[in-house]
Amino acid sequence: MTRLLDVKDLRVFFRTREGPVHAVDGVSFHVNEGEALGIVGESGSGKSVTSLAVMRLLPMPPAEIKDGEILFRDKDLLDLSESEMRKVRGGEISMIFQDPMTSLNPVLTVESQITEPLRLHLGLSRAEAHDRARELLEAVGIPDAQRRLRGYPHQFSGGMRQRVMIAIAISTNPKLLIADEPTTALDVTVQAQILELIQRLRRDLGTSVILITHDLGVVAGVTDRINVMYAGKIAESAPTDELFANPRHPYTLGLLGSVPQVEAAGTSDLQTIPGSPPDQLHPIEGCPFQPRCPFVLPKCKQYPPTVIVGPNHLSNCWVDVTDPNELERAATRGFLPLRNINTSFLRESSAAGSTSSQ
Amino acid sequence: MRRYLIRRLIQAVAMLFVMSIVFFLLIHAIPGGPDRVLFNPKLPPSVRLQLRHQFGLDQPLYVQYWNWLTQVLHGNFGYSFVDNQPVMSDVGARVGATVELFVVGMLFALVIAVLLGVLSAVRQYSITDYIVTLVAYFGISMPVFFFGLVLQEIFAVKLGWFPDIGRASLDQSGFTPLQVFEDYALHLVLPVAMFSLLFIAVWSRFLRSSMLDVVKQDYIRTARAKGLSPRAVFFRHALRNSLIPLITQVAIDFGGIAAGAVITEGIFAWPGLGRLFLSSLTDLDYPVILAMLIFITASVIIANLIADLLYGVVDPRIRYS
Amino acid sequence: MAMIQSSPVSPPAPIELTPELTRKRRSQFEIIRDRFLRNKAALVGLIVLTLMVLAAIFAPLIDPHDPNAYNIALQTAPPSAQFPLGNDDLGRDELARLLYGARTSLLIGVTSMLVMLVVGVTFGAAAGFFGGWVDAVLMRITDAFLAIPYLIWLFTVGAIFSDGSVKSIVILIAVFSWANAARIVRGEFLALKEREFLLAARTLGASDLRLIFRHILPNAIGPITVIATLYVGFNIISESILSFFGFGLQPPTSSWGTMLNNSDAYITSDPLLVWAPGIAILITVLCVNLIGDGLRDALDPYMTER
Repeated sequence: MTRLLDVKDLRVFFRTREGPVHAVDGVSFHVNEGEALGIVGESGSGKSVTSLAVMRLLPMPPAEIKDGEILFRDKDLLDLSESEMRKVRGGEISMIFQDPMTSLNPVLTVESQITEPLRLHLGLSRAEAHDRARELLEAVGIPDAQRRLRGYPHQFSGGMRQRVMIAIAISTNPKLLIADEPTTALDVTVQAQILELIQRLRRDLGTSVILITHDLGVVAGVTDRINVMYAGKIAESAPTDELFANPRHPYTLGLLGSVPQVEAAGTSDLQTIPGSPPDQLHPIEGCPFQPRCPFVLPKCKQYPPTVIVGPNHLSNCWVDVTDPNELERAATRGFLPLRNINTSFLRESSAAGSTSSQ
Repeated sequence: MRRYLIRRLIQAVAMLFVMSIVFFLLIHAIPGGPDRVLFNPKLPPSVRLQLRHQFGLDQPLYVQYWNWLTQVLHGNFGYSFVDNQPVMSDVGARVGATVELFVVGMLFALVIAVLLGVLSAVRQYSITDYIVTLVAYFGISMPVFFFGLVLQEIFAVKLGWFPDIGRASLDQSGFTPLQVFEDYALHLVLPVAMFSLLFIAVWSRFLRSSMLDVVKQDYIRTARAKGLSPRAVFFRHALRNSLIPLITQVAIDFGGIAAGAVITEGIFAWPGLGRLFLSSLTDLDYPVILAMLIFITASVIIANLIADLLYGVVDPRIRYS
Repeated sequence: MAMIQSSPVSPPAPIELTPELTRKRRSQFEIIRDRFLRNKAALVGLIVLTLMVLAAIFAPLIDPHDPNAYNIALQTAPPSAQFPLGNDDLGRDELARLLYGARTSLLIGVTSMLVMLVVGVTFGAAAGFFGGWVDAVLMRITDAFLAIPYLIWLFTVGAIFSDGSVKSIVILIAVFSWANAARIVRGEFLALKEREFLLAARTLGASDLRLIFRHILPNAIGPITVIATLYVGFNIISESILSFFGFGLQPPTSSWGTMLNNSDAYITSDPLLVWAPGIAILITVLCVNLIGDGLRDALDPYMTER
């Protein structure tokens, strides 16, 4: 499998009046051709900044890419000039964002916004672009496409606007689509439809996808692999099924444990990860999860190495959480093992999404 | 859209109607009563008594109002006390000059304000921004007429680059068409400079903040993510969306613009409606004063109407709702 | 599979009471005041304006001459040792006139603002708070006032009705500027009325009066102060325009505006007579604007910070 995107040791920080904020602190990952990678983490984990760095859309006065390589089809994107990067942006790598209500220009027609990248990257004429735009709207499941082209964003619902955003993103047949929290601002039913659309397009076009979210339910059914990010670093990386079946990083355990379980309703409290999100202005020495980790050891003051804990499965932790001794030690800190976690419901709901008619 | 149009039209007409009543009442509120407004004070009292009856001033108020309104709508505003000419002809003679000043001044102000505002926003916090903001501050704090006096003194009197008053040279005989044009243009420079100062200051700051707001919007990020060049992002997305609120602002400022025209004409002895208004106030030439007030009010109302229509055309959210 | 309970990982350490924690928090007023003082431009404005006010108050100490004493022999005389700014068209001491003129102009500016504020805030608050027909009626009235441009109103009413006294001008300016102030205040009240804390107070049974004075007004005070400050400058300019065209103050009352009216004819022969009052107005209004903007900046981020 060829690596479409290969990010090596990326470090991004923001200059603020109070000092540098280390948003991305040594992140390495890759995306293979045709695969869907999920990046999961809470707000502030650095997941969005990573993707914006790949697109080189970060505002460079406050932001600075201190280190690292971003290899896309064997070219380091960080070495490209701005005008060369503009060819990549929107042409070979596309991105869709979180809030569809504000991501479209309210005074331009939907057609003109879809044809922009078509005419820019593919050099289509107005007539050609118009036809292609119509096809794209149909492909993303918007009925009455011909008439809808002349419409304005405020005449579309949230879900439909996100479909338009997807149409714009795939219009140039990009190799890679980055979706940054594409469903967070939408209703649950619409969420499922959008995810199903992304799945379908991926299969039909062979596009690789990076799906960024804080919601495990979203990645469960759609992705091939998942990276879990915490405090600007990757905590754990594994194929999707493997991650749900066999989580190895304490943070991942916390995330999975906090998914509400229907069967557990009424029998126990809602699970949380104690403590608060890390302060990236004053990062602590060693593993950033220490203050909240039930498995913490003095050794953790030294940042743990990357351990191979399974097939294609990496974790950055000193502790083997499957070791009964470790579990016992953690239990003294109030940690209780859960018998099993039912993730099939997550897969089902994503795949079940009704056929596209919004 | 059509409904919006009709609604605004009805509002405008209603407003004009209401204002006509206000003006009518104003006539009767003036010390000395309506005969001061209608009849030339130079007339002997016996004639005035006769005219009172003739004009129906002893009739009930609403009848008088109706008579007055019909007259006004026919363009009959009475006769000026000063020169005994029909007011409308006095007005007609001067409209052209004011329109000239107004149109050139507004266009100039808009163009410069947009340029400065955009420059300021794009180079936020730079020296350029700082200078433009400083200039804007001065423009807002400066009493406009003082600025006009200063301009007159420095550029017309001391340096002699431009004529100090008037719309054109008194004697244009022997001028080629080009020289005539040049003459008019030179006379326009200083008045336009004074007239537009305040609004350049206000609108450039307005545009600056409008632009800064727009640039933070998500759809600008989308545009960049498409790989559009900075110029395309700027012109197609940022600029267009920033200019739309300016329409409303100009409409709001229209009253001030009209007042500015009056002051400018006063200082530069510009032979327009503003100067007519000022002299009518000094002479207490009531028929003219009244006519000017009505004219100005109607202009403000119509300008607001036009602005609303324009806004509806430009912003599809209004057009299709 | 593991599950993490909601109990804390280890018992929390006792909190040390450092001086930082026990220090009294700065009051809202102090925060705003400090933020204002950090704004250099506003500070400069405040200092210069204070100096001007002091100069106006202590005018007789600075220049002992009588500003109204005229002397034809010294007509439009250039600056001399005795008269640092020269003499005007009637031979009067220009500097003295400038200083005493400051009193008039500043007085008119501030007084008219205060009158306008009282009326405008009352109308605007009532309209914004009560809404309904109260709002509709009040708004129609303000609309009528706003249909004719402010300066046009001033000129017209000034020319016809005014007797040229300070009181007359103050009333004139106040009468025609309150409409705009009322509109702005109404906007503020409307916006605040919708905020959640109002709903909360209402649910707790607060009466209308209490709501207005205890809840809305303290929040609206900020923008109102800013408007009030900016209007002082605006009113000073209004008075000077009126007086310049002859519709404002009449002799013997004089202000910077009347000085400009007198000196207009002498602009070529003795430009200092025009520059002096003009620059005085410019500086005063500039300072007022800087202070007003400084206040606005000091108040605004605080509002959004909550």
